[in-house]
Amino acid sequence: MRRQTKRKLYAVFRFTMLGLWFLIVAFPMYWIIATSFKPAHEWFAWPPVYWSRTPTLENYRIVWTGQASSSTTRETASLQKPWIALGNSLVISLTATTLSVAFGTLLAYGVSRYRLLSEARMFNLLMFRMIPPIVVAIPLTLYYSTLHLLDTVVGLVIVYTITTLPYAVWMTKSFVDEVPREMEQAAEILGASRWRTVWEVIFPLVRSGVLATFLFILILTWSEYLMALILSKTDVVTLPIQLSKFEGTTEGRVYGRQAALAVGITFPLIIVGCLIRKHLVRGFSFGMVKR
Amino acid sequence: MARIELRHLRKTFGGSIEAVKGLNLVIEEGEFLVLVGPSGCGKTTTLRMIAGFEEPTSGEIWINGRMVNDVEPGQRNLGMVFQNLALFPHKTVAENIEFGLRMHKVERETRRRRVLEVAAMVKITHLLDKLPGQCSGGEAQRVALARTLVTEPSAFLLDEPLSNLDAKLRRETRAEIDRLHQTVAKTFIYVTHDQEEAMTLADRIVVMRDGRLEQVGTPLDIYNNPISVFVADFFGSPSMNLIPGSIASTRNGPCFQGPGLTLDLPPAWALMASASATLGLRPEHLTVQPTGGAFQAEVRLVEPLGKDTLLYFDHGGDKPLIAVVEGTRVFETGACLGLTFDPQRLYLFDAEGKRLR
Repeated sequence: MRRQTKRKLYAVFRFTMLGLWFLIVAFPMYWIIATSFKPAHEWFAWPPVYWSRTPTLENYRIVWTGQASSSTTRETASLQKPWIALGNSLVISLTATTLSVAFGTLLAYGVSRYRLLSEARMFNLLMFRMIPPIVVAIPLTLYYSTLHLLDTVVGLVIVYTITTLPYAVWMTKSFVDEVPREMEQAAEILGASRWRTVWEVIFPLVRSGVLATFLFILILTWSEYLMALILSKTDVVTLPIQLSKFEGTTEGRVYGRQAALAVGITFPLIIVGCLIRKHLVRGFSFGMVKR
Repeated sequence: MARIELRHLRKTFGGSIEAVKGLNLVIEEGEFLVLVGPSGCGKTTTLRMIAGFEEPTSGEIWINGRMVNDVEPGQRNLGMVFQNLALFPHKTVAENIEFGLRMHKVERETRRRRVLEVAAMVKITHLLDKLPGQCSGGEAQRVALARTLVTEPSAFLLDEPLSNLDAKLRRETRAEIDRLHQTVAKTFIYVTHDQEEAMTLADRIVVMRDGRLEQVGTPLDIYNNPISVFVADFFGSPSMNLIPGSIASTRNGPCFQGPGLTLDLPPAWALMASASATLGLRPEHLTVQPTGGAFQAEVRLVEPLGKDTLLYFDHGGDKPLIAVVEGTRVFETGACLGLTFDPQRLYLFDAEGKRLR
């Protein structure tokens, strides 16, 4: 076979595989969006309805206003607190992510420049993250109940900050490592203090990386389920917990509403992602800083 | 201006690797001193200790009569140009230059004036609004110089600043640095592994080897009177012909016996008869003639460089003997030619590489 033909065949094969993979990944997302616009009788319809002929915003209206229309019945009103859940999720994940990235960046700087932790210790830090969360969650419940942190915003912020810190350190460290030491020394010999150097020289250079890390951790905390389920009960409900509550209502499974809420949960992340897309690309393809 | 003194300066890394082994050196005010040597000889470590980035394991550093071992780099009033320049990529050229002044809390108006002055001095006024990434290699070099100049340090430390430039630009920037030294009349300490840079720039050259001073002197002094095989080999391009052999006394006087080579030596050298020695002869001191001469050898390779031509002779040793002849003369490989030399320009080193004569 000629080389050119071979290359073309390979390209066709590659794109076919990528196309299949794309379908597998994208289908659930498509299905959630499609379901969120379906009227109730189409949720379980067979053959499945891929795109409703009578799309409706009813699901969104019910989910986000908490008012059932005349046609639907008795969804437990007390469970429907999407705005409160949204507020909780925003406060908890933004606070925890900010703290985690702030501490993580400073720690990463220390590790990168002062060898605060050996390579082995750094690895241990990541290992800490590999412990199944459930192992930590049960003992944590005991501590939390003693400290009155159960079912509080502060409680969840603390646990999210600590559990995401390893990621923050690992990710930002690789960015700090990329900044040549001489850059700092140049600032130092020109009379800049250590903090001034970090603020004026290091931080602007790793900003993209820090933003990428921020988004990554925001996604983790925004969608965290297990810890939120165990460490909070009724007072502090986050969006993922709220989403799960759509399952056991008296009416059975209300897929349409669940889908409408799921779209609402994912949407903010997509917006944030789009806003900082430029930084993300730079952050994940670091290495262009060096002259 | 600064007078810098190093006293018994030592630096070890990790307890076992001794990078600098007891250095004593005085750098006079306004002097252009070049630290030169192969990589790993301790020259950069020495410079970094002077700058304050490395702490000496023992010994003292004095700047203008003050011991600065415990003084932070920013408080030593030194300027440094780094090998990779270390310009701040997110700041414009003007902001880069202004940085040091801002750190010293200089007023905005004065800062602006100083930046313009310095930019004009190194001819980069047209670049002030650009980012370092938009400058060419030579331009970035000037920006780095300007950033160092603006704070008016008492001494300039330059760590292989030309290593990232191509040959032509390197020559130009070298001349620029020389001019700058004359203009600002400050102490310059310049680290390089390039003997040509050292020769052309230095008032005084310090040759370092394995963490020690091998030889200190003016460029010509070092070139004409190398104290060891190491220095003789390091300076000069092409480097000195070094022929291992021995000195024997014969009825006709002393002679040098090398591989496939016997050379008569001046009678005065008879006292130096020894089992092993190295004879040194600079390529430009070998005269090539069609026949006769002190000895004959076959041309193995002809390397025309334009102005000069290098001839590689096979004399039976491991390394060929190199001679420099005028570029206008034409030679062919395989020809057997006569070679002569001025005995006064011979160098002789003992078995340890120390200069005998």
